[in-house]
Amino acid sequence: MATMLVEIVTPEAALWQGSAQALMARSSDGEFTVLPQHTSLVTDVVPGVVRVATSEGEQSFCVHGGYVQVGPGEEPGTTRTTLLAGVAERVSEIDGAQAQADKERLEAELAQLGRDGGEDPVARSVLETELARAELRLRAIGR
Amino acid sequence: MAGGQERALRRRIKTVQATRKITKAMELIAASQITRSQARITANRPYREGMRRIIIEAAMADPHAAGKLLGEPERVTNVLVLVVAGDRGLSGAYNSSVLRAGERLVAELRSQGVGAQIMAVGKKAGPYYRFRGLDVTRSFVGFADRPTFADASQVATAVAAPFIDGEVQRVVIVSTRFRSAGAQSVQVEQLLPLVMPEVPATPSGLHGYTEFEPEVEHLLMSLAPHAVESEIFTALLEGSASFHTSQQRAMAAATDNADELSLNLTRVMNRARQDAITTEIMEIVGGAEALRTGK
Repeated sequence: MATMLVEIVTPEAALWQGSAQALMARSSDGEFTVLPQHTSLVTDVVPGVVRVATSEGEQSFCVHGGYVQVGPGEEPGTTRTTLLAGVAERVSEIDGAQAQADKERLEAELAQLGRDGGEDPVARSVLETELARAELRLRAIGR
Repeated sequence: MAGGQERALRRRIKTVQATRKITKAMELIAASQITRSQARITANRPYREGMRRIIIEAAMADPHAAGKLLGEPERVTNVLVLVVAGDRGLSGAYNSSVLRAGERLVAELRSQGVGAQIMAVGKKAGPYYRFRGLDVTRSFVGFADRPTFADASQVATAVAAPFIDGEVQRVVIVSTRFRSAGAQSVQVEQLLPLVMPEVPATPSGLHGYTEFEPEVEHLLMSLAPHAVESEIFTALLEGSASFHTSQQRAMAAATDNADELSLNLTRVMNRARQDAITTEIMEIVGGAEALRTGK
């Protein structure tokens, strides 16, 4: 079966790299699947679970927003799919208890921020991003 | 008193050697951090390059939309200067050179009648600018040694806010770039509006037709904050690698200095001790002589 090179890259490290049969994700326009020989494509990826079908089964990644670029690989006739994500992790490596604790702590901090009155929009948006990530992690592992 | 001098010297030698132990330890720690932070720069490269590739591809597909976003503002009345310094001192000229470059830039902007505000990373920046009567709007402390991507995105959110509000028309970053273990330099780069990355002479991966979802203009708009995050993260990583390199060099020099100082002090002390012994012998001999002649 035809395969393509898939890379999942975050700023801190290359999370995963290997050959795959398909990559499934959701963009702001809806669900999409990239197969080998896909035409060149640049698209965004909304926060959610991205699945990669490989010969050893399916790998799932919890991606907190990113971009996919599909283009020809180094060898002619091959396809290279790169997923760039600021923050991403393997679903199998998510610590549910930790995510739950983060969620509760962030909710409390946000409530505290609202009560203090002295509104700092930057601090608020940082907390909100963190909270959204914790919630996504919980959803990814099905809690 | 000869004996007193000897004791004082002995104490000084002990102090110098105790300090040497500290500088040596700091040198070794910094050296191990250099390797680690260099590895992080390497790990960051694929992401940064992927980001640039997407921007180039999008900008080439729709130059008009790109021009709107990447274009220069017509009139710049206010500029935000983001200075990346360290949290700790004892690192040679690392902090002072980047802080001075930021100060110069602000002075230059103001002389052209352009308003400038400063945001700074690193504990050393706030006091430096405040002492010189410059205002630091926002200061980020605690991660200059080991920045994470979350730190970078926090900084990005903060610097982008006044740009989005139209309060400033340009954001520049002053940071130390890590070229190699032997070469670091302070550089001023523009963060916002986005600077179009240089297109490689032989564009790889550029080909007839590329699909964009959503359309290029929206894609670029949503991409911009992430590109800024990525640029800031790179600057933070290179800053921390430069800091450790600088500290390692400064501490190695301090250790050498301590060695030399303790060697010199030991010589002076030995001479003082010999002087004391000579004086004592002379006194004994003189005393014995006096007793004999007095008999």
